[in-house]
Amino acid sequence: MNDIGPIFRALMHNRMGALLIALQIALTLAIITNAAFIIQQRSANIARPTGLDEANTAVFYTNLFDPKIDQRQLYRDDMEAIRAMPGVIAATHTNSIPASGSGWGDSVYNDPELPSNESVSFGKFMVDEHGLETFDLELVAGRNFQPEEMVARSMTEITNPGVFVISQALADELFPDGDALGKTVWNEPNGKEPLRIIGIYDHMQHAWPGSVSSVNRSALTPEITLIGDIMYVVRTEPGQLDTVMAEVEEYLSRNQSRVVETVRTFEESKRRTYSGDIAMVKLLSAVIIVLVGITGLGIVGLAWFSVTQRRKQIGTRRALGATRWDVVRYFMVEIGLISSAGLVIGLLGTVALNWFLDTNYEVGRIPLWYLPVGMAAMWLLGQLAVLLPARRAANIPPALATRSV
Amino acid sequence: MFSYYVRLALASIRRTPVMSALMVLALGLGIGAFMTTFTVYYLMSGDPIPHKSDVLFAVQLDNWDPNDDPTESAKDVNPQLTYRDGTYLMNADTPATRQVHMYGTGAVLVPENEESPSEERIRATWNTFFEMFDVPFIYGQAWSRLDDEDRASVVVIGRELNETLFNGENSVGRSIQLNDGFFQVVGVIDHWQPVPRFYHADGTSRALADTEQIYAPMNRAIELEWTPWGNTNCWKSPDEDLPPLEGFLQSECVWTQFWAELETPHQVADYKDFLDNYVREQKEIGRFERPLNNFISDVMEWMEVNEIVRNDNRVLVRLSFLFLLVCVLNTVGLLMAKFMGKGGEVALRRAMGASRRAVFQQNLVEVGLIGVLGGIAGTGLAWLGLRAVESMYQGYQHLVHLDPVMLATAIITAILFAVLAGMYPVWRVSRLAPASLLKTQ
Repeated sequence: MNDIGPIFRALMHNRMGALLIALQIALTLAIITNAAFIIQQRSANIARPTGLDEANTAVFYTNLFDPKIDQRQLYRDDMEAIRAMPGVIAATHTNSIPASGSGWGDSVYNDPELPSNESVSFGKFMVDEHGLETFDLELVAGRNFQPEEMVARSMTEITNPGVFVISQALADELFPDGDALGKTVWNEPNGKEPLRIIGIYDHMQHAWPGSVSSVNRSALTPEITLIGDIMYVVRTEPGQLDTVMAEVEEYLSRNQSRVVETVRTFEESKRRTYSGDIAMVKLLSAVIIVLVGITGLGIVGLAWFSVTQRRKQIGTRRALGATRWDVVRYFMVEIGLISSAGLVIGLLGTVALNWFLDTNYEVGRIPLWYLPVGMAAMWLLGQLAVLLPARRAANIPPALATRSV
Repeated sequence: MFSYYVRLALASIRRTPVMSALMVLALGLGIGAFMTTFTVYYLMSGDPIPHKSDVLFAVQLDNWDPNDDPTESAKDVNPQLTYRDGTYLMNADTPATRQVHMYGTGAVLVPENEESPSEERIRATWNTFFEMFDVPFIYGQAWSRLDDEDRASVVVIGRELNETLFNGENSVGRSIQLNDGFFQVVGVIDHWQPVPRFYHADGTSRALADTEQIYAPMNRAIELEWTPWGNTNCWKSPDEDLPPLEGFLQSECVWTQFWAELETPHQVADYKDFLDNYVREQKEIGRFERPLNNFISDVMEWMEVNEIVRNDNRVLVRLSFLFLLVCVLNTVGLLMAKFMGKGGEVALRRAMGASRRAVFQQNLVEVGLIGVLGGIAGTGLAWLGLRAVESMYQGYQHLVHLDPVMLATAIITAILFAVLAGMYPVWRVSRLAPASLLKTQ
């Protein structure tokens, strides 16, 4: 390592060139570390389980426009027909789809005396007794609802179902002591509209995955909406999704008094909700790849050029007894020195950029371990980029020194 | 002289093809990435109705839960109104030039022919909508105030729907079927797509949505029980003693949008007073239990209140600008290397009598040329980038066109950055002492 001295002094002769590379490395580090952090966060966000059997579930949005039709009977017939189809595990009607970005929110009080701002809000799914199985939920306590507990909600009539089945997360929020089962909560202040918790299931997200702290608070109520719009959710055997979707759509479309507006796999529905996050992951990944490429190629280009410039000098060194490896090492130490300077500046840049982005746009704070990893990666990039030009330098014959002096 | 320099520059670029390509590519990628993110940002933060945006005001009344956190700014108040407040204002004699009350809804459109019915989004509104927002008509006109009051079954339809249903002919007087009812067409509007769609813009996705193809009187829509398709927020349940629909209309639930056209500061002040007085009266009958917090915001303020430009978008603009900086640094480095390698040639030219100035100019032309090429590459890449962005996001189709301003900006920026990047290397090379370089040859 005793050649660091001369290499450093040689570098000082071309300060501007070295500074440019160092700055480039510094900025690249700052950008890719921050980008990688945002990517990691968004990916984790997208990967949160909704609770459903995501790969084998489809959703259907329908709109009935003939008011003369008996909606309740129609929905009953639909459900019966869909459930009888081969490949269908379970199906339900609903007013909300988990992680779809649009749905129905409600709130309950665990004490009739509470003021109106202390209710606990949750995502409400009005389904029938097949809701649990369709959404692939596991009852951890209590029971499912019975068909005779179903009530209807229309423009002319709203009936309080009186019972509901809630998620573990909602149960924990309402009754932190873990004794939610069988308890009564109230839909309205002053003890009005009571709802009894008859069952608790493991986990299901509500419709708005953006509200991170409350996303797992959901509940199923034995209700059906009779306002024309209704959605169906169908869960199938693995591998049967496409066939079943086509068959259900064909069946639903047979009725001329309704429009089957949207047919989607659950995965597609979720992808749409997360399209902003997915785009961010893709765009930032592209930024990282291209940036690493540009910085790498830039180093290759400059080193290549510097080899051309120093052909004679390298030839002389070789003639004086330097091995090929000595020549290669020269370039590696050189880029190592420049990288180290750049990475020190880049470290400060990374922290400053993260601070700026977090203060203004709430991206969160980068965990510390990102910094050494990012620095190591950038350092390695410098070494890799210089390898090819350095090998070219090592191939300069010592005889070159004897020519054209 | 200039064309001679251009020829010299081309020759020089050809001599170092890989390095020149690298420079053009780096500049192009930097410009392309920045232009892509900036175009989206620029269009999202643009003024959707420039000639009127300072006289159109969105109205907010703070009717929320008295136990909730105190209101500090318009962002803390719901962006929508209750039906009863909007209806009152619409029928009151206010200081505003015009007002409009509306909500987004939908119905099933049943075509006359054998084609299958489809769900259509509908804007339920008042006749003032079209004049207030300067909506261009191709045929006919808006319905009348009388139609509003009489709950007439009339509609204004969009150009696209008119193409589909009536082959683009003048369809005024004909009718369309929505659910089980018929509506007479009174007007057809031209393609009209304010970006963002400011009049109903709570949240980015709604702000980027297409304008509706059907407009119908709000009173008729309510009568037909067309439910709101946007957000409905309630802090208090509707009165249970009333039938559900009536209870909902009288409730504290917010789901309608309300705008006022106020042309002078005086009118603005009077209108605010009017709103405040209305709320004070309502307080006496037990509503509006929170402190007085009414807000009116003009179009650009309203875009701020609704946070239409996403944070993600701002982050991307910042990061892509830094990305561009890296690309420029990269180009400076390569240019330095390249020009220092040209020392011999420069020395020769200087020895033959070229002035420093001439050398400087000649090399600057070369740098400028790289800038132009980088700009062209950047524009192409920005176009590709915008296509990619369009495919990734929902509803970005109105945001991802390269308008001429952006195009010119891209190329000028590229040349500017290239020249800036080249300034130092070019200066350095023109300062070289010719004698010392000639000697080493």
